[in-house]
Amino acid sequence: MRFIFLTILVALLVVFLNSVGPFWMVMIGIAFLSALISPNGFGGFMGGGLGMGLAWLGQCIYLGINTSSPLPDRMGELMGMGSGMTLIAITGVVGFLLGGFSGWTGILFRKMFQKTPENVYRG
Amino acid sequence: MKYFSFLLVLGVTIALAVLVSIPIGQIPPIAPLLDPNHGFWQNSISEDELAAEELTLENLTAPVEVVYDQNLIPHIFAESEADLYRAQGYVTAQHRLWQMEFQTMAAAGRVSEIVGPIALDLDRMTRRKGLAFGAELGMKFLQENDPETLALVEAYADGVNQYIAQLSDARLPVEYKILNYRPEPWSAFKSLLLLKYMSDMLVGDRDLEFTNLRKILGEAKLDRLYPEFPSENDPVIEAAHVWDFEPLPVLKPDSMAYPDEELLISPLSQPEEGTGSNNWAVAGKKTKNGNPILANDPHLSLNLPSLWYAMQLSTPSNTVKGATLPGALGVISGFNQDIAWGVTNATRDTRDWYKITFQDESRKAYQYGTTWKPAERRIEEIKIKGQEAFIDTVIYTHYGPIVYDRSFRAERQDINFALKWTVHMGSNEQKTFLLMNKAKNHNDYNRALDHYTAPAQNFVFACKSGDIAMRIQGKFPLKWPGQGKFLMDGADPKMEWQGYIPNEQNASTLNPERGFVSSANQHPTDSTYPYYVFDNSYEHYRNRRLNRKLGEMEQITVEDMMGLQFDDYNLQAAEALPILIRLLGTYKADSPEAEKYLQELKSWDFFADPNQKGQTLYSIWSSETFESIWRELLESKAAVVRPSSYQTVELMAKSEQDSIFEVKSVDGVEAADYHVRLGFDSMLVVMEKWEAEQGDYSWANYKKTTIQHLVPTFKSFSVVNVYTGGGSGILNATGSRHGASWRMVVELGSQVQAFGVYPGGQSGNPGSKFYENFIPVWANGGYLDFGFRMKGDVDNVLFKTTLK
Repeated sequence: MRFIFLTILVALLVVFLNSVGPFWMVMIGIAFLSALISPNGFGGFMGGGLGMGLAWLGQCIYLGINTSSPLPDRMGELMGMGSGMTLIAITGVVGFLLGGFSGWTGILFRKMFQKTPENVYRG
Repeated sequence: MKYFSFLLVLGVTIALAVLVSIPIGQIPPIAPLLDPNHGFWQNSISEDELAAEELTLENLTAPVEVVYDQNLIPHIFAESEADLYRAQGYVTAQHRLWQMEFQTMAAAGRVSEIVGPIALDLDRMTRRKGLAFGAELGMKFLQENDPETLALVEAYADGVNQYIAQLSDARLPVEYKILNYRPEPWSAFKSLLLLKYMSDMLVGDRDLEFTNLRKILGEAKLDRLYPEFPSENDPVIEAAHVWDFEPLPVLKPDSMAYPDEELLISPLSQPEEGTGSNNWAVAGKKTKNGNPILANDPHLSLNLPSLWYAMQLSTPSNTVKGATLPGALGVISGFNQDIAWGVTNATRDTRDWYKITFQDESRKAYQYGTTWKPAERRIEEIKIKGQEAFIDTVIYTHYGPIVYDRSFRAERQDINFALKWTVHMGSNEQKTFLLMNKAKNHNDYNRALDHYTAPAQNFVFACKSGDIAMRIQGKFPLKWPGQGKFLMDGADPKMEWQGYIPNEQNASTLNPERGFVSSANQHPTDSTYPYYVFDNSYEHYRNRRLNRKLGEMEQITVEDMMGLQFDDYNLQAAEALPILIRLLGTYKADSPEAEKYLQELKSWDFFADPNQKGQTLYSIWSSETFESIWRELLESKAAVVRPSSYQTVELMAKSEQDSIFEVKSVDGVEAADYHVRLGFDSMLVVMEKWEAEQGDYSWANYKKTTIQHLVPTFKSFSVVNVYTGGGSGILNATGSRHGASWRMVVELGSQVQAFGVYPGGQSGNPGSKFYENFIPVWANGGYLDFGFRMKGDVDNVLFKTTLK
């Protein structure tokens, strides 16, 4: 549940913060969000990653459909990656990795300050 | 443990963030490039989708309205000239910033800053030619003589800079993102530099090659193979024009010695063959409506973003429209309510070389007559991306910079040559265009041209009042016959230029009897003009075709003139092919392949239309034949230039047994037919390969017209294999990389009718729908309506922006 919540919030963060700030600012934001919402480690990674990756992917596709510009294909060819579709995928993957590691960092940051519960079996 | 895992993951995250933020080799930082909010994806958005109703432009005296028509052509309505040019700078930068800056970086010899050491040699050459030096002198000239023009050039720069200052990452042109740099401030200096860049593109000389040829062939043979006037001369200013002035005397020294060692240095790059232009104007007595009609099509390298940017510039007192050069003020080829004008390159040798004899190794002084003159030094620091800067020392003499010396392209010869070029003289070309934009009559046109130095142009003119005119304007040195054709001895003061042809004695004509004026880069005049006008690259075909057609035509309409700009008739082929076929005789008559090609050639109508096969066959056969004829001459180790195709054809036609056709290495070869057969064989080989690999050899498919992005390695930003006809030496001069870079036809009736097109689009952004949208129109010989727009016109408005 927390993981889905994080994914949605990260996606919103990308849409609003990234339109005015650079990607690294978004990464810091994701770390804070995931520390705040605090799913487990894997959830933080996946939430941050999917949130940012899907947002970037969605933004590329939106621009592509809206403008029907030849630029993605031209850039794909220029960078030796074939078509614009490859670039859309790569953008998504880069977004996923940046968001994922930011989210994971946030979780681990929070964990540093959490007391490890002792004698859990004694109740 | 938890601290450790946090630090580890934090480390990985930071490393990842850094990795995607820095360039790796030639790959730009990947995250800023891919970020959909700031990276290249944002460049997918076309200009109309980003339209703003209002934009802030400071330092205006009144709001400026910019109306974009459906082709994204801006129509700027300003209350004053300063406002107008400030807005021109801003609006041009919006669509063409990267190109403007890149071209001036190239002109300044600063390409290495952007692309790295690969451009170092190019930058050294540019700086040694002294383009920036020339622009500095131009700035000084403006500061001392023309503060009014300088103020306008600075207003333009301010407009560009205000655009740069507010430019977001998202809107940064995509080339900056790929090459990973940002625009620097524009300046008045850069505008001047751009005009020097045009000179460099258009002006050549063959002094080195002719010096070598003189040594190899001897003077008599040189004159025979490279005559100064062709047998059928059809000059810019009509033959038999009466020169009604007293020419200045030019004294030829009694004795002179040219440096005549065979020189093994590599020559400067030359304007490429195929670079040229047509312009003409017909008088009302030859047109259907009785109005003068003017046409212009400059032929240059076909590039994207296009060299030209269309605009209308209006103040309450004047409206002008046409093609502008991004970076320069005003319209360069266009029309206003009263007049129209256009330009073609007036090739003439205004670039000469002097051999410099230094006093000693220190190169601090050089010989001049019986004395030693001190030399100056200019330190050129060439910054290189990813490397230490390169320091080049260029020595300047009173002639100009020493381009070749022991440190640059001297190949094993210890030789120093200084370049004297009109580009190094303080001048004010910008003023010409500012005045021309608001000229009302022939006198205003002449006054505007008086400020023009280089690159020399044939300025065609037509006026609503009915006048048509042509003037060949540039700063032309006074030369004795032969001066500057060869390298000269700089130690001999008698070799100096003796002054300049006065402006009023530059060749010109007004309302000639024949009812038209025209130019196509041919000889400026016939041999009666009292000054020496040598150049190696004069055109011999387009001019004759053009003048014949204009001579025949009556009741001319705008459509006729459009048809003439798109005329594919290959006059060279019409003259040469019958000779080739005659000299071929029955050679290879038994080969079915040869017979097929020969039949195609014989049935060809000499039009280089895109679907024609004859043009392909002719172009291969003729070039292989000419190549064979001059092979032994060109095999010389020293740089030479071969006789023109016109001269070659004439020799084949009139003296096929001439000794020049002898091949020393093959016994018994004494006549032209040998070369024609060899050329035919080569054609068969080329065609066999082509048919096997490509199949179709119709002309458009063979010549593969390509409109190339300014960075040639950005192949996907280029447009390749454009289906269109024409070629070098043809009025529609569209070859594979050169051609009509702008076509304009204007009829000056009570309502000005104007049409124009260029192979590109208004946007410099390869992601925009306005990047290449004119190309299909251009390739089919179509035009866009270039009629004036009034401020309130509502038809075909894409969007409007108010600058205030």
